[in-house]
Amino acid sequence: MSDASTPGDAEPEPEHDHEHHHDHEGPGYATPQAAIEEGEREKLAYVMSLYVGTDVDASDFVAVVDLDPESETYCEIVDRIELPNRGDELHHFGWNACSSSCHMEGLERRHLIVPGQRSSRIHVIDAADRRNPELETVIEPEEVFEYDLSAPHTVHCIPDGEILISMLGDADGDLPGGFLELNDDFEIEGRWEPPGEIEMNYDYWYQPRQNVMVSSEWAAPKTYYPGFDLEDVEEGNYGHQLHFWDWEDGTVEQTIDLGEEGLIPLEVRFLHTPESTHGFVGAALSSNIFHFWRDQTGEYRAEKVIDFEDREHPDWDMPVPALPTDILISMDDRYLFGSNWLHGDVWMYDISDPANPRRADSLSVGGTFGDVQEVQGRELSAGPQMIQLSLDGERLYWTTSLFSSWDEQFYPEEGERGSVMLKADVDPRKGTMELDEDFLVDWGECPDGPARAHEIRWPDGDCTSDVWQ
Amino acid sequence: MGDETRRHDVTLEWPDADRERRTIRIGEDETVLEAAERADIALPFGCRTGACGTCTGRLLSSNGNGDADEGTPDVADAFAYRRPPRALKERHRDTGYVLLCIAAPRTDCRVAVGSSVHAELVENPWK
Repeated sequence: MSDASTPGDAEPEPEHDHEHHHDHEGPGYATPQAAIEEGEREKLAYVMSLYVGTDVDASDFVAVVDLDPESETYCEIVDRIELPNRGDELHHFGWNACSSSCHMEGLERRHLIVPGQRSSRIHVIDAADRRNPELETVIEPEEVFEYDLSAPHTVHCIPDGEILISMLGDADGDLPGGFLELNDDFEIEGRWEPPGEIEMNYDYWYQPRQNVMVSSEWAAPKTYYPGFDLEDVEEGNYGHQLHFWDWEDGTVEQTIDLGEEGLIPLEVRFLHTPESTHGFVGAALSSNIFHFWRDQTGEYRAEKVIDFEDREHPDWDMPVPALPTDILISMDDRYLFGSNWLHGDVWMYDISDPANPRRADSLSVGGTFGDVQEVQGRELSAGPQMIQLSLDGERLYWTTSLFSSWDEQFYPEEGERGSVMLKADVDPRKGTMELDEDFLVDWGECPDGPARAHEIRWPDGDCTSDVWQ
Repeated sequence: MGDETRRHDVTLEWPDADRERRTIRIGEDETVLEAAERADIALPFGCRTGACGTCTGRLLSSNGNGDADEGTPDVADAFAYRRPPRALKERHRDTGYVLLCIAAPRTDCRVAVGSSVHAELVENPWK
C-alpha cells in the first residue's frame, strides 16, 4: 500500500494488496499467511471519532491517523472526514470488499461503510485516495427503517461484492434485530434473513468454506442506548446466546445459551484459517471468554476458557467486573488479544490449543486499576477498549471509548478530555507486550473540542475484518 | 405552521455549562429539538425516534408549577409525545425526564438540557 497516492484526472489506483502477489484477481490477500508476509506495515489508520451525546456542536468524523514513524506527522490526525449530520454515534465500520472476495476480478477494497449506531444512517466513504478519503453516499435512516431495522453495527462484505450489516433493533429501537444487505452500488437490497430468526443481535463473523456464520447478542437499542442499568440485567434484557447460521440460507441452525457466565456476548471471531470451525467470543458482563467449535457430530459447542476475576476497589461499593469488551485473533491464529475496559488491561493468550488458552502477557494501563495512568504526561481517562493488531502481529493499538452513554457513566472524564490511541509492541515469538510510551494520539486536541475514538481499521485489511473463502 | 397552532414559551437551561438560558416559542406541532434547530441552538440528540435518550431533558417547571418545593412537575401536562418514549423507564418518566426529540409542548415550561442531563439517567452501579 502507499499512503501517498496521487489523485489526478485518472481514477486513483488503489495501490494495495497486489503489488507482490498476482495469483488472484480481486481485493485482499490469497491467504492469511499471504497477508502476514505481503502486507506492509500499517502507515495509516481510520478511526471512528465522535461527538454524539456531548455539547460540542459538531458531527462525528472519521479520523485518518498517521502511523508512519518516519513521517513528520507521526501520531497525528492528518485528515478528518466530517459527516453531514450530528447525532450519528459512529461505532463500527467495514470495507466493501475483503480477502473473501479475492476471486472477484475488478472488485476493490476501496469503500468504507460507516454506520451511525444511534442515527441508523449509513455512510459510504470512497478511500481510493488513502490519505484523503471522501464521503460518497449517504443512506438516510428513513430508508433503513422501511425494513423495520435500526442500530447498524458490524459491517462485513459478502464474498460476491455485497455488504451485510448486523442491525440491533427494529425501526422503533425495540427487538427483534436482523441483518441489512446492501448491493455493490451501495443501495439497500433488503433484509438478508427471513425476519424473526433471532431476537437480539450484535456482532457476527462468517466462515464461508464451512457455510457457517456466528452472531452474538447485546440488547435492544432502547435498552443499551441510554446507558448500562442493572435493572435491565435483573429483567433479562441483556443477551447471553450465540447463534450459528447456515451462511447460504440465512437461517439459524443452532442457538447456544451461554447462561449466566455468558452475559452480553459481544465481539465474536472465527479463526482466520478458512478450514477452522473454532472461534471465541467475549462475554463482557460476566468477564469470561468462551471458546466455540463444531464437534464430530456437526453440532457447535461452547465452553468458558478464560475467566477474569472481579477486583475490589476501596472507593467502590461492589467488586468491579473486568468488562472484556473487545477481542481479536492474530492473523496467524496463534494469539487471542483482548481488552478489559473497566479494569484497565490489554492481554494476550496463546491459543495454539484453542480449548486451552495459555496466558502469555498483559499490560496494566488506564482504566480503574491500571498501573500506567498517564502517557507523555497525558492523563488517561478510560481503559483500553477497541483493539487492532498489525498484520504481522507485532503492534497492538487501542482506543478508549466504548459507547458515549456508557463512557459517561463509567469514565465521565473521557468526555472532557477526549480519547487516546495507544500502542504496545508485541513479540509474537516470546509472547510478550511492551507499552510504547513514544506513541500517543490524542483526541483531546481536536479543533472542535475533545472527541471520543472507537474502532480502528487499516487501509488494506486487518485482523478484525478480513475473512477468507 | 398554521396560524391556529398554539404556541408556548419553552426555556432551555444548561445546568453544567456557562451558557445563557434561551427561550424559544414552540408550536404544539413541533418538537423541542426541531424548534431548537430552527433557532440554531445545538441540543444533543441521536436516534430522533425516542429510543436512545441522547436528547433527554428534565422538566423544571410547567406553567409556573414545579419550582421551589412544589415537587416534580408532570411531564404529561407539559408535553405530548409523537411516539412512545422508549428510552425512558417509568422511574425516569415519573421524575420529570423528557425526550426532546419527540416531545411537543402543551404549556409554557422550563427544561434542563445538555449532555449532563442524559448522564443522570443511569449511574455507575459498582461505585
